[in-house]
Amino acid sequence: MERQPRRILIANRGEIAVRVIRACRELGIPSVAVYSDADARAPHVFLADIAVRIGEASPAESYLSISAILDAARKTGADAIHPGYGFLSENAGFASACERAGVTFIGPPAAVIERLGSKIAARAIARQAGVPVVPGETPADQSAGAIAAAARRVGFPILLKPSAGGGGIGMKTIRDERALAAGIEQARREAIAAFGDGTLYVERVIERPRHVEIQVLADNHGDVLYLFERECSIQRRHQKVVEETPSPALTPALRRRMGEAAVALARAAGYRNAGTVEFLLEGTGDRASFYFLEVNTRLQVEHPVTERVTGVDLVHAQIAIARGEPIPWDQEWLTQRGHAIEVRVYAEDPANHDLPQAGPLLLYREPSMPGIRIDSGASEGGEVSVHYDPLIAKLIADGETRDIARRRAIEALRNYPILGIRTNLSLLIEILEHPRFVSGDIDTRFLESEGANLRARASSDVPAEAIEVAALLRSHATDSSRRSTGSEGGGAKADPWDTLRGYRG
Amino acid sequence: MVEVLGHGRFRVDSRLAYAVKDRQRVWVFLEGRSYLVEGGDRGDDIRAHSTDDQMALSAPMPATVIAIAATPGQEVAAGDLLVMLEAMKMELPIRAPRGGRVKALACREGELVQPGVPLVEME
Repeated sequence: MERQPRRILIANRGEIAVRVIRACRELGIPSVAVYSDADARAPHVFLADIAVRIGEASPAESYLSISAILDAARKTGADAIHPGYGFLSENAGFASACERAGVTFIGPPAAVIERLGSKIAARAIARQAGVPVVPGETPADQSAGAIAAAARRVGFPILLKPSAGGGGIGMKTIRDERALAAGIEQARREAIAAFGDGTLYVERVIERPRHVEIQVLADNHGDVLYLFERECSIQRRHQKVVEETPSPALTPALRRRMGEAAVALARAAGYRNAGTVEFLLEGTGDRASFYFLEVNTRLQVEHPVTERVTGVDLVHAQIAIARGEPIPWDQEWLTQRGHAIEVRVYAEDPANHDLPQAGPLLLYREPSMPGIRIDSGASEGGEVSVHYDPLIAKLIADGETRDIARRRAIEALRNYPILGIRTNLSLLIEILEHPRFVSGDIDTRFLESEGANLRARASSDVPAEAIEVAALLRSHATDSSRRSTGSEGGGAKADPWDTLRGYRG
Repeated sequence: MVEVLGHGRFRVDSRLAYAVKDRQRVWVFLEGRSYLVEGGDRGDDIRAHSTDDQMALSAPMPATVIAIAATPGQEVAAGDLLVMLEAMKMELPIRAPRGGRVKALACREGELVQPGVPLVEME
């Protein structure tokens, strides 16, 4: 008899909490949401069967509090915890605290998280599995002088990364000697602020690389499969913005080599459950080189594109594996069908250094169209809180070809009104329409090199129509009767068929 | 031709627009772009700017000042770092929007600053 989670607690918030709770409902497993004071009215709270307040708005008092989350699990009888991504999802201490409390952690064992969470240990495992790695080192002597010496050994340009980090936080590219001292100081400061540990890792920068990652699934019965790649080269400050699968750069032979390398690494690490092996890809096609970057020991933000082309529900698979079930397919069964593109809708200002924005969602309407999936934790009347990351939603478009998926994404974004805060919607459209994106000629520096141009196009003067709409809204709000502007005045009749005719949604 | 469809929706010629009031301002969404329209009740008084055009010298949200890179009297070029803030787990650089002289600094390292409050005055 397999162990059936009686009740799954979702130790997260926002769109990923909503996504996992929906999977629990689909599987008939009762779910428990946890929330901070800032999220008392958030969508994930209403969707779950039970919701438990775990603390104040600050993440340290709530979503990062191991004791508060385990208390909530004990009080509600939850016997499994899904960590989502971010927060405690890659925290080995949390996974082992779950193990000690007799709660199933839906993810890899604590020891595996710990091993792969250390960049040094992860690289050693990759080498042992025969997977190529980028030249780099973590100097034992962490003084600024010793880090500078390591930078010279590795060779410029270099990347400084917090040894304890992830998600691109605190990473600094340093192109030459002159920028070194200030860069070390800043990377150290961010590493300490974000992870409480200032240990830095020095790595060679691969020029014009693509970021291509492989999704793996490993069960408790020795089976490890790969679910192909995701290309995530459209990034800013190492935060992904657009992801897709298949990658325009991969050939079947390269895809197989990378997939098999990811599986070899997962086996060498004793991996369990869903994980992602990230690579840098230099060049395209059969002669390209790939280098191991890191393993993300959790569900990824961009997992839906894999789901759209493989037909596999990765959260269902995670729960089945955590129950001890064997993966029901073999590698040959898995195929990529069509193409999927995800864009991340962020509350941020593309015209002002992508500064995150917090504020109310005064008007928020998700488009519903063929080939469109939206994973969000937002709703009209809600707000984007200053306490958490500024992701509002993920819009995933699929189609039989890359171009159809791309066109569907653009059409959906053009019909996705989000008002009350600034968002990156117009920038996303400009990216998807850029000739280099259209042709698939992208690398991780795309936003850096094309950004100024894209942003200039994304921010335009207010057109006369918008000013007219604003004027009409003001006058309408004051006399509350239906009125229209312009010479034809046909709107005064307010015939629904008349008003619908011109809408090309 | 602009027409009220109700529920925040407007018809503009053959296109659909959305709009919502935000105190004295109006947000408008049209074909994938949003605009913040400011001003009084009359259309001809309206002062408008794109939502992307925001004052760069104040924090966009509550944030902590982690470093001050400029000094009063200093000549800076467009794009020069003036103040480094931290919020939402990220460093947020406040840079000079144009060349000029720094007139005054209105924040200290370690200070929690509120949105919209000027951090640096330039002349």
